[in-house]
Amino acid sequence: MRIGIDLGSRKAKFALLRDGNIVHLAEYDTITFYKRFGRLDGEELSLDLAGTGLFDEQELARAAVVVTGYGRNTLSLKGARVVSEIMAHVAGALHQTGLKNFILLDMGGQDTKVALVKDCRLSDFVMNDKCAASSGRYLENMAAVLEVSLDELSSHWEEPVKLDATCGIFGESELIGQILRGHSIARLCAGVNQTLVKRVLPMLRRFTSETIVLAGGVALNKALANLLAHETGQRVVVPEHPQHNGAIGCATLGSKDQVKAV
Amino acid sequence: MQRVGFTTTIPLEVLIAAGRKPVDLNNVFINGGRSLQQVENAELAGFPRNVCGWIKGIYAAIKESGIGEVVAVTEGDCSYTKALMEVLSLEGVTVVPFAYPHDRNAVSLTSEIEKLMRHFAVEWEGVNRAKERLDRVRCKIREIDRLSWQENLVSGAENHYFQVSASDMNGDPDLFEAEADAFLKAAYGRKPREERIRLAYIGVPPIFADLYPFLESLGARVVFNETQRQFAMPYETADLIEQYRSYTYPYDIFHRLADIIVETEKRKVDAVIHYVQSFCFRQIEDLIVRKKLSLPILTLEGDKPTPLDARTKIRIEGFVEMLKQ
Repeated sequence: MRIGIDLGSRKAKFALLRDGNIVHLAEYDTITFYKRFGRLDGEELSLDLAGTGLFDEQELARAAVVVTGYGRNTLSLKGARVVSEIMAHVAGALHQTGLKNFILLDMGGQDTKVALVKDCRLSDFVMNDKCAASSGRYLENMAAVLEVSLDELSSHWEEPVKLDATCGIFGESELIGQILRGHSIARLCAGVNQTLVKRVLPMLRRFTSETIVLAGGVALNKALANLLAHETGQRVVVPEHPQHNGAIGCATLGSKDQVKAV
Repeated sequence: MQRVGFTTTIPLEVLIAAGRKPVDLNNVFINGGRSLQQVENAELAGFPRNVCGWIKGIYAAIKESGIGEVVAVTEGDCSYTKALMEVLSLEGVTVVPFAYPHDRNAVSLTSEIEKLMRHFAVEWEGVNRAKERLDRVRCKIREIDRLSWQENLVSGAENHYFQVSASDMNGDPDLFEAEADAFLKAAYGRKPREERIRLAYIGVPPIFADLYPFLESLGARVVFNETQRQFAMPYETADLIEQYRSYTYPYDIFHRLADIIVETEKRKVDAVIHYVQSFCFRQIEDLIVRKKLSLPILTLEGDKPTPLDARTKIRIEGFVEMLKQ
């Protein structure tokens, strides 16, 4: 039995697996989670997993804990094995999709990772750097500007309004300008989703594969999957639990640093 | 002894022959202990935020050190240097332009070096004598490099330091030679290092100071410091013009790649870290590097002289873990 934890910038995600099968999944808002259940013990991060109520006593006593996430290189987690994010996400995608060859596009709250997986092995990867305008946080901001829910934003992909700002903050004023021009909310939402695709395309083009596995919280955005398939001509596969992919990956990683599904 | 600064490696022999104290402004900036403050000072003086950190650092280093004369490399480095030259002229610094011809033409290069010689009032005889003196030190720096990849006795950071310092010999070839001698003596007595992953570091020197120790903490060591090694003039030749034609840094990427391919094979390198400076034209060359090298490549971007940021660390860790699979 293993517990996988993915400490993201927006959400802390949890997965409990028994014999490779998902027993249950959960998540907490990152800030709430750290405030209520985290504390620094010297240079080590201690998490009060029992206090979260996510796992029962028996599970906590028996399960090995594997963790990944932001800040893992500045903190070590007490009592847990720490793995790199890229390995965790690739392992999750292998486990969830059963595919052997694909490009993994993981889009989280701040991070965008593109990994090339060949014969179940990570063979190369790129990550966004210096700019997080292709992230979940950007989508949240834009939904707020448009006064729509994330679900509403994520349902539109046809006839996108063209948006060009390179900065996620200047993008807000550009969007306001387009609202004034009278475009429909549906087309504006599609435009926001389209900007995300444009920002990740140069990273995706680094690698060749027939299939893109789209994971991370942003993969819940159905419009994005549609636009990606349309722009790339590749098959886009969204795993059953995209947001928990990293946590599931952690829980599948064996005792060695190898990407191997349990 | 009058100090003369320079913006990137120039024919050091000319300054030594002229009895000047050479100062590689990059080294002064990055080793001065106030590098981040200097970049911020340059921004306060009006240098834009989206301009190379090295240019801003060089500017502030000149202002703080009071160096009155600077050789500025106008071709073969970057166009920011041209504007830097203009700002320095405006502020009363004597600026001597020096250009590496893009096509590596020997006649043009000779003419540039002779122009520099006329400015510093030296003849070929003195310059060649300086070359002999400097070559004796360079031999020792080459040995430190060999110990890093062939004997595994030298860390990536140690090798980086000696290679990069060879551009101005820390202002005093005699002292620098003594430092290299002492280092070599100690290094021969060490046990070989055991990092599993052998890396090449290509691109301009890193603006972060902690890259090498961080890599080594993960079990990966740089055994090829590309441009730093170039600053130490790695090719043995008696001819000064030929020496600065073989030197790869100021010429096109293909000339550099020829050296990179030979050295990465010879040194049994597992993967490459391509460092690019934010806002530098060399960022474009990353796409050529990726097409021409068959090894795994991690491209790192640095902006200001800060410790490695969390995101860069995450990327490095992922890369090293991938290599260890």
